[in-house]
Amino acid sequence: MSNVEFDEVWKRFASQAEAAVRGLSLSIPDRELLVLLGPSGCGKTTALRMLAGLEEPDGGDIRIGGKSVVGLEPKDRDVALVFQSYALYPHLSARDNIGYPLKVRNLSRAEQQAKVERVAEMLGIGHLLPRRPAQLSGGEQQRVALARAIVREPRVFLMDEPLSNLDAKLRVHTRTELKTLQRELGTTMVFVTHDQAEAMSLAHRIAVLNKGELQQIGTPDEVYDHPANVFVAEFIGSPPMNLLEATPDGDSVVAAGGWRIPAPRGGPTGGGGTTAGDGSLTVGLRPEGIEIVADGQAAEVIAVEPFGSEVIVDVRIGEQALKIRAAPDVRPAPGSSISLRADPSAVRLFDRSSGAALR
Amino acid sequence: MTAVTAATGRTTVDELARRATTEPPPRPKARAGPLEWILVHIAFLVVVAFFLVPFLWLLSAAFDAKASAYIQFPVEPTIMNFVKIFTEHDFARVLANSVFVAVATMILVVFTVSLAGYSLSRLDLRRKDWITYAVLLLQTMPISATMVPIYGLARQLGLRNSYLGLILIHAAIELPFLIWLMKGFFDSIPRHLEEAAWLDGRSKFRALIEIVLPLARPGLGIAAGLAFLSAWAEVLMVIILIDQDNLKTVPLAFYEAMRTQGGYTEVQYGVIAAMAVIYLLPVMVVFFAARRLMVRGLMSSTRGL
Repeated sequence: MSNVEFDEVWKRFASQAEAAVRGLSLSIPDRELLVLLGPSGCGKTTALRMLAGLEEPDGGDIRIGGKSVVGLEPKDRDVALVFQSYALYPHLSARDNIGYPLKVRNLSRAEQQAKVERVAEMLGIGHLLPRRPAQLSGGEQQRVALARAIVREPRVFLMDEPLSNLDAKLRVHTRTELKTLQRELGTTMVFVTHDQAEAMSLAHRIAVLNKGELQQIGTPDEVYDHPANVFVAEFIGSPPMNLLEATPDGDSVVAAGGWRIPAPRGGPTGGGGTTAGDGSLTVGLRPEGIEIVADGQAAEVIAVEPFGSEVIVDVRIGEQALKIRAAPDVRPAPGSSISLRADPSAVRLFDRSSGAALR
Repeated sequence: MTAVTAATGRTTVDELARRATTEPPPRPKARAGPLEWILVHIAFLVVVAFFLVPFLWLLSAAFDAKASAYIQFPVEPTIMNFVKIFTEHDFARVLANSVFVAVATMILVVFTVSLAGYSLSRLDLRRKDWITYAVLLLQTMPISATMVPIYGLARQLGLRNSYLGLILIHAAIELPFLIWLMKGFFDSIPRHLEEAAWLDGRSKFRALIEIVLPLARPGLGIAAGLAFLSAWAEVLMVIILIDQDNLKTVPLAFYEAMRTQGGYTEVQYGVIAAMAVIYLLPVMVVFFAARRLMVRGLMSSTRGL
């Protein structure tokens, strides 16, 4: 079993005023692919490095397979890390790079050879084995780094933005491969990225971090459909969720420009008392949660962005800008007026002062 | 006329496009006028002559039976000067002593700067900046100022007339600068590489040996070269610490040859010159063997600082 647990983990760097990781608690079951997602400086890489043993936590406990690894040297943790820079040993051939962890374990030459060949075959880099890292393209280096991690059969794979140095096409291709590979190997994987699309496409579950704190953990669908707070709502999804200031009024809320939006069942307007202070709210609407209808809230079209499979329509209600996802054939003229309707099941409400979702 | 301009214009654009994709743009060269050209070359010649003349004298005097303090073509060409230093002056022994001291110093220095440079580059030490600058401060101290205490210390520790003393002092003189040099080298090697080795299962020490040091080879090459050359050339400490004939190194043999050979009547310039020529050979060998490494090393060390 190689489940991973973070238990109230803290990390503070002497050079920074704010703690890099603040009371992080996470439980990752065996064989799961968990993505740590957040903007740069959110503490996701620090969390990963603590798991690898490259940083020591200031407080809390980290366990792999139920046993605490705090204080253990990286070499004794049996985890493999693929670095963003790949960290291939420049003076060794691809073969020796991949074989290095096996050499460390004193495997016989024949065994090393066989394992390296097998993994290289699996990743389609057999022909690159004699080359030095400097003679490899970025994508090839990335595969060698991956092979070096796989060949060891570690308890946990750690990935520190391993795709971010690849070009867009290769990145999308590789992430599909990685997902398949992780399923076949059945090894727990912790994957760090700042790219929400990458996180959505790869993860079994996503842990969203901001300023060292865990914001939400859940399946891609959960974090997309039910963001725990305004930060997650804005960070996940492209274009992000539209957020409008609103005030409750009976069974609905009133947003900018007097737009009356039906509030979801069980919302604050029904039960009352769940909002803080003055009861002011933020309404969240995904771009696909707004429909263009014949009779609804009037809005002015600012711009139209066709993407082939869909069209993003930029509109304005009063001062409030919104993005709407529409069918590919919808092309309203900029400057014209259209009318909108919010899908009641897509409406999300957040407390305006704390940013937390209201259920 | 227009056609020509247009054609040239197109060539230039194509040329630029080609360069942009294949190579970095060339640096604009400052065009020197003829007067500048002449002045620059005269300046070079003066400098070259200044440095070259002593070597010319050495060469001609070493092969001249009637060498004098003046520079001249050999009056009486001979190789007897070289024969003499080995038969009459036991120069083979002196050379062997020098080689031993210089090589031992080199080994000690390379070992020490690897560990010290790595520590200053990587370890999380309290007051590391103070330590680092203290090392640099040592480098700025003129060694002659510490002559007397070093003599006293060496005498008390029984390190006079001992190669151990000489090696320690030579290493100590070179260490501050070379530690800084190596720190710069280690700074330029990405930390991820050794972290990857730790995660691959290596201890920190083995990772240093197997991953970091091989990458620091150009730096170690410079450190080794400079340590050898400086120990080879050092005179002051040899004079202070060594006065037994069988322990003499080349600088001391020189010093004594100049002082005593022939007394007032006849200084044997030919013998001294022959010694000097042999003395210069290892320097040349080290330089030509390591010059590529040194240039590469010096370039990358300045990048790392």
